Amino acid sequence: MGTAPAQLFPEYLVDTFGIDSVLGDVVASLIGAALVANIILAFSGVAGPWAKRKITAAFTDRIAVDRIGPFGLLIIPAAAVQLLAKELIVPEGVDRPTWDIAPILLPASAMLGFSVIPMGQIGPLNIHLADPEVGLALVFAFASIASVSLVMAGYASNNKYSFLGGLRAVAQNLAYEIPLIVTAMSVVIFAGTLQISGVVGAQTETLATVAGFDIPAWFAFVNPFAFVLFLTANMAEIGRNPFDIPEAPTEIVGGYQTEYSSAYFVLFYLGEFVHIFLGGAILSVVFLGGASGPGPESISFIWFVVKVWGFFLFTQWARAAIPRVRIDQLIEIGWKGMLVLSFANLVLTAVIVGVIA
Amino acid sequence: MSLERPDTVDDGAVERTPDELEALLGDLVVDRDDHLNAPGFVIRPDTVQETLSVLKEQAGYDHLSVVSAQEYENRYESIYHLKKYDDPTQEVSVVVPADKDDPVSESAEPVFRTADWHEREAYDLIGIEYDDHPDLRRILLPETWQGHPLSMDYDKDRPQIATLPEHANPLQDHHKDEESDTMFLNIGPHHPATHGVLHLKTVLDGEQVVDVEPDIGYLHRSEEQMAQNGTYRHQIMPYPDRWDYISAGLLNEWAYARAAEDLADIEVPEYAQVIRTMGAEMCRIAAHMLALATFALDINGDFTATFMYAINDRERVQNLLEDLTGQRLMFNYFRLGGVVWDLPEPRDEFFSKTRDFLDQLPESIEEYHNLITSNEIFQMRTIDTGVLPPEVAKNYGATGPVARGSGVDYDLRRDDPYGYYDELDWDVITEDGCDNFSRLLVRMREVEESAKIIEQCVDLLEDWPEDERNIQANVPRTLRPDDDTEIYRAVEAAKGELGIYIRADGTDKPARFKIRSPCFSNLQTLPEMANGEYIPDVVAALGSLDIVLGEVDR
Repeated sequence: MGTAPAQLFPEYLVDTFGIDSVLGDVVASLIGAALVANIILAFSGVAGPWAKRKITAAFTDRIAVDRIGPFGLLIIPAAAVQLLAKELIVPEGVDRPTWDIAPILLPASAMLGFSVIPMGQIGPLNIHLADPEVGLALVFAFASIASVSLVMAGYASNNKYSFLGGLRAVAQNLAYEIPLIVTAMSVVIFAGTLQISGVVGAQTETLATVAGFDIPAWFAFVNPFAFVLFLTANMAEIGRNPFDIPEAPTEIVGGYQTEYSSAYFVLFYLGEFVHIFLGGAILSVVFLGGASGPGPESISFIWFVVKVWGFFLFTQWARAAIPRVRIDQLIEIGWKGMLVLSFANLVLTAVIVGVIA
Repeated sequence: MSLERPDTVDDGAVERTPDELEALLGDLVVDRDDHLNAPGFVIRPDTVQETLSVLKEQAGYDHLSVVSAQEYENRYESIYHLKKYDDPTQEVSVVVPADKDDPVSESAEPVFRTADWHEREAYDLIGIEYDDHPDLRRILLPETWQGHPLSMDYDKDRPQIATLPEHANPLQDHHKDEESDTMFLNIGPHHPATHGVLHLKTVLDGEQVVDVEPDIGYLHRSEEQMAQNGTYRHQIMPYPDRWDYISAGLLNEWAYARAAEDLADIEVPEYAQVIRTMGAEMCRIAAHMLALATFALDINGDFTATFMYAINDRERVQNLLEDLTGQRLMFNYFRLGGVVWDLPEPRDEFFSKTRDFLDQLPESIEEYHNLITSNEIFQMRTIDTGVLPPEVAKNYGATGPVARGSGVDYDLRRDDPYGYYDELDWDVITEDGCDNFSRLLVRMREVEESAKIIEQCVDLLEDWPEDERNIQANVPRTLRPDDDTEIYRAVEAAKGELGIYIRADGTDKPARFKIRSPCFSNLQTLPEMANGEYIPDVVAALGSLDIVLGEVDR
């Protein structure tokens, strides 16, 4: 099944520098984690203060940031200084330390998810930290910790809008995580493994050749129906339009974020962006052949970036164009529509795979 | 012809002469006090409900436009200005004097729901107490206010203390029982969806709204009193721009111009009427574009492209208005007897700019239909939410797109013609959905009708002979309408019937200047639309009402 995956990044470090000991493993893992974390933080740093504004502006006939630096890029450090320099307002009556833990938990949970994501190669480096046998289950588990953080924030803020936002977050995540995972399981039936390198490896074959172009056997092409289901559930999971209901600024003024300012506010936003990128990463691993793409294996990191940012662009597009559904409609779509469809998809896939294989 | 009345004849449409009405009311009438616009019947303060019921049920006066109250040297007086939705030129005023020392008058609320807020305002500003009123509290001023600002003995130097009760939950006990538990939520006065400084006292049961009560007055700027301190000729005209300040300025100015011109018997030259009509419709487009933009904001979320697109289109019409009037928002363009100056030179350039705008407008409207009205999620959100049945709308005195979205075929431009409207070819838009979607659709289609009107006006203006371009009638430098003449006149502003009641006392300033704000009456319907629905529906319903707090609070 495809070529053997390249060596994981920490193992590569251990081999290259000959530090084959427990201490060596720890150091190598830490270096690897720092690299991955910095890549993701850099993504978010570009996305939050700059790319998001530029993309939204392009959709809405505006120009957006262009005053400092080339293309306004220096807004990124400027925004960082500005946001961190703001006063951290702690409202009376908030439930500490829950109130303080929530904004840390959100980005942390999303970052953890990246530990098992294969991010492609830069030259000989394969940016992939760990590849446990239950990788896919693990990444969903990490991603869903986020809703705990939202509930904590909503409940601990002692604000009615935050409270409503927290409740909405729970209701929404319950309604969409089940279809999300059930749909992902249909892919597992194809791949026959939960290990992420296995899922990616199963998508490397050629599905068909059209006019000289090889179309790879990405699960998005193999089962487009599951792809659309997964994409929709993923939008709800990361809380973007049309499912940005837990925040819904025009209804509940930011929901669980209402009482947060300064660094905590930044952490929440960071968490949201990392979560979008994690959503994109999961989507590319499960349906878009991971980091694979045309060209040599050694530049596949570029394809990873393209896919993840493509998903980010998609979320921004949806935000500029699509109305927000109402909370009761969302629950209805989740439980009555998506859940049924995702189980139908699972059963059908199992039958087809069982008959053919 | 589009301007003809539809052929609906019922008892209410039969026009009665004032004497027939007096006969119908019989002993209820104690005196006559005719106004310039309508016959006025003076009645005793304890027969208000009976009189209004007779007029509503038997004579078909189903629209209580406004309640204007004032204090005289020897009495207080409330005037109920009644009209018919089927034919607003049939008007009647019910004049209710109240005792100077003990101003108590019967409330009209059981007959017309809309009287609720109007009488509260009269109580708040003038000091008349309404017997049998369900909730006689102050409405514009804080509850702790001392004195009534428009009464004669008001001491304006007295220090006032306004308190803010924290975490009030006035309805807690009403809605708390063993099965359900409610939460009181203050929406506003600072909230992204209140479109200004509106405060909604909301009681929630989970995500559902049990009760919502609008609390207004945060933008009260004593506009009526300021107008009473200005001279008719020049000093009042700048104020109307500041009521509905969402670029509906010319429409507001026309309300004052129409009332004052009829009061002082001023004839406006035809050429000026065409310019007025064109400018007013430009304002309507600008106002409806903003309504569309903010409604998309409420439904889609803050970063929707529709908002910026609509603001872009509004910007184009705003530029035209700037060329015409020299101002972008506070136009001050109308004068009694005409307009302040002629079209900008070179005229051809102005006409071609206007035509360019009109040419690209259908394309924009098409885009909005693609973006929002034909979007399934948008339809899911707005169709059958915020339902306002036509009878309820009439009972609350709703007008404008809110009434027309409920199928009430009422538009003063056609039904009580003024300006140049009856010479032009255009249609009144109504939708029968009664929901948030219908109200939006009415506005979008009205933009198209306004474009038709502007186009015809441009055609007329282009061919107007140069020596007949008379922009202002000869109006005396100082206007002193006769003592004790009263008039109520309304125009179709962006949000509905914007009316002005003026009582002259022989001086060059009005003795009483009352503004009938369409938003004020329309906002009253919010609880009818929102109770029992979800929070997002309240936001949508409020957006579809398209209120401007500057006009609600005045």
